[in-house]
Amino acid sequence: MKQYLLLFCAAALFSLSTKAQKHPTPITVSVFNEATAIPFTKFVTTPVHPGIQVGSNFWNRERKHTHLFQTFNIGYFFHSKLNHGFFTNTELAYDYKFNFGLNIKTSIGIGYLHSFTTQKEYQFENGSYKSGRDKGNSRVMFSLGTGLGYRLQKSNLYSPEIFMMYQSWAEYPYSPGFIPVMTHTNLQLGTKFFINQKKDK
Amino acid sequence: MNQTILGLLISIFIFTSCQKEDNNNTPASYNCNFSFTDSSTANANNAKYKQLLTDITASGVPGIAMSIHKPGVGLWLGASGKADLRNNVAMKPCHITRMGSTVKTFTAVTILKLKEEGKLQLDDKASMYLPAWAMHNIANADKATIRQLLNHSSGIFNYIRSAQFQTASLNDLIKEWTPDELLAYARGKHAYFEPGTDTYYSNTGYIFLGMIIEEITGKPFWQVFQEKIFTPLGLTATSFAATNTVPANIVRGYVDFYSNLQVTDATYFSGWDYYTADGGLISNAYDMNVFMQRLFGGNIINAASLNEMLTTIAPQKIDTDFFPIQHGLGIFKISTPYGDAFMHSGDAIGYYATIAYFPATKTTIVWAVNGNYGKIDQFASSKKAMEKIFATVF
Repeated sequence: MKQYLLLFCAAALFSLSTKAQKHPTPITVSVFNEATAIPFTKFVTTPVHPGIQVGSNFWNRERKHTHLFQTFNIGYFFHSKLNHGFFTNTELAYDYKFNFGLNIKTSIGIGYLHSFTTQKEYQFENGSYKSGRDKGNSRVMFSLGTGLGYRLQKSNLYSPEIFMMYQSWAEYPYSPGFIPVMTHTNLQLGTKFFINQKKDK
Repeated sequence: MNQTILGLLISIFIFTSCQKEDNNNTPASYNCNFSFTDSSTANANNAKYKQLLTDITASGVPGIAMSIHKPGVGLWLGASGKADLRNNVAMKPCHITRMGSTVKTFTAVTILKLKEEGKLQLDDKASMYLPAWAMHNIANADKATIRQLLNHSSGIFNYIRSAQFQTASLNDLIKEWTPDELLAYARGKHAYFEPGTDTYYSNTGYIFLGMIIEEITGKPFWQVFQEKIFTPLGLTATSFAATNTVPANIVRGYVDFYSNLQVTDATYFSGWDYYTADGGLISNAYDMNVFMQRLFGGNIINAASLNEMLTTIAPQKIDTDFFPIQHGLGIFKISTPYGDAFMHSGDAIGYYATIAYFPATKTTIVWAVNGNYGKIDQFASSKKAMEKIFATVF
C-alpha cells in the first residue's frame, strides 16, 4: 500500500511542477477541527482536535460559473488522547461560482491515513505486554465535502480565496471485529492562493 | 495577507496541540493489603486457579483479579498480570478497579431496600418520582414502572446504543458526562417495545432509577449506596466514582481500540458513568464477593425482596452467542453446564468485571480485568472465556 502511495505522490507532484511552468499554481492551506462524529449531526464540535492540510488543484475544467477539478492534499490532525493522523488524499471537486465572488463547493475523495497513538502503546508479545515502538495503523479514508468560498478579487481569475468546508469522512478499517468503520468530520477554514503568477502574465 | 492568515492558522494549531501526561503514579501508589489472613495458598485448588489466571493474561488480558468462594472450602483470592504496565506493577486481589455495570445490582438492591421501608412500590409508575425534564421526549418514560426499569422490560431506548453518543464519547475521551447529557441521546428515539412486552437492556432505565433513589431520599444515590450497602457490609474498598472519579490507587485500565492487542492507557476514559446509577462502581474482587455472598445469604434484603429480585423474564430474541439468559431485577439468570447462575457483568472503558453466584452449590465467582474491547474481550468476557472459568472452578 505504501508503494502505491509514494507513486501517487510522485505523479501528483510531477503533474503540479509541469503545470507550474505554464499557469499559476493554486495552493490551499487550511486548518480544521477533526471530530469523531456522525456526519451532519453537529457542525461545531468540542474539544477542538486541530489539523492542518496543504494541497493543490490539477486537471482544471473551468467555465464562467463552474469549476471541476481534482485536488491533491497532505495533512495532519491531532485527536487528543487518541491519535496523530497523517494523511494524503485526492478529491474530485466541483465549485459553482457566483458573480459576486461567492462559490459553493462540493467534493468526493479517497485517501490514505496513517495514525499513531498519542499515548504510550504496549504491544502484546510472547505472552506479556511490553512498551514498544508504535508503527501506526494504516487506513483508507473516504470523504464527502461541502462548503463555501469567497474570492477576494472578484474579477481576477487568480484571486486569493478564503473558504470553509464541512468534510465528512470514514476511516476503514477501524477496529476489525469490533467497530468496522469510524466516521469523522472536519470543519475546515482555509485559504487558496496562486504561486508562479508572474510567469503567466 | 496570505502570511498573516497562515501565521494565524499555524498559531491556533500549535496552541491547541498541547497535551499532558496522565500517569504520575509510582509502584507505591498501588499499595494495598487485606485486614484478614489470606489462606488462598492453602486452598486445594490453588494451583489450578492460578494457572487459569496465568492462561488468561498469557492470552492478552493485561491483568486479572479473581475471588472464588465455596461453602466449606472458603475464599480463594488470586491475581495475574499487571495493574500498571508503565510502572510494571503486578496485579493483586486487593487492588481496586472499575466494576462498570455490575453497579446495577447495587442499584436494584437499594430500590428493594426502599421498597422494604415502604417508600415505593415496584409497580409504581417511574413517572411518580421522576422530574418532568428527565422524562421529556423519552418514549415509554411516562408509562414504565420501577420494576420494568429494573428488569429491562421498559422498552426505553438505551442511550449507549446511539451511534451519536458512541462517536461523541470517543471524540472527548475524558469528558465527565452529566445525567442530562446522557439522557439527551435517548430523547426522540423510538421505544423498543411497549413496557412489559419484552426485555432489552437499557442503561437509560438505570439513570432513571438513580434519580428515583435521589428523589425519595433527598440524597445523591451514591451516598445512599454508601449508607445502605457499603458501610453496613464493611466494603471498605468499594466506592462510587462521583466521590472520587479516578482514585490514585485504581489499577490502570487499557483498551485495545484497534483489535491488535496493542493497548493504550484508558484510565480516564470512563467519564460517562461517573454520575449515573448505570455504572461507576469502584471496588475489588474481595468486596464484590462479600456483597454477593451477603445478598444471596439474605443479609442485605429480606427473603421477599430477594424473591422479587430473582423472579426473571426471558427476552423474546435469543442471543445464541451467550448462555440462555433471563432478566431479574438488576441481575441476570444464565443457564450454564454447571447449573443456573445469577450474575451481572460490567464494562467501563479499559475495564471489565463479572459477579456470579451459583445457588445450587452456593459458589460465588468474581473476576475483574483491566483491559477490554478489541481482541481482549474474547479472553475475559465472551461465553467461551466464561465457560473456561466455570469449568476450572467446578
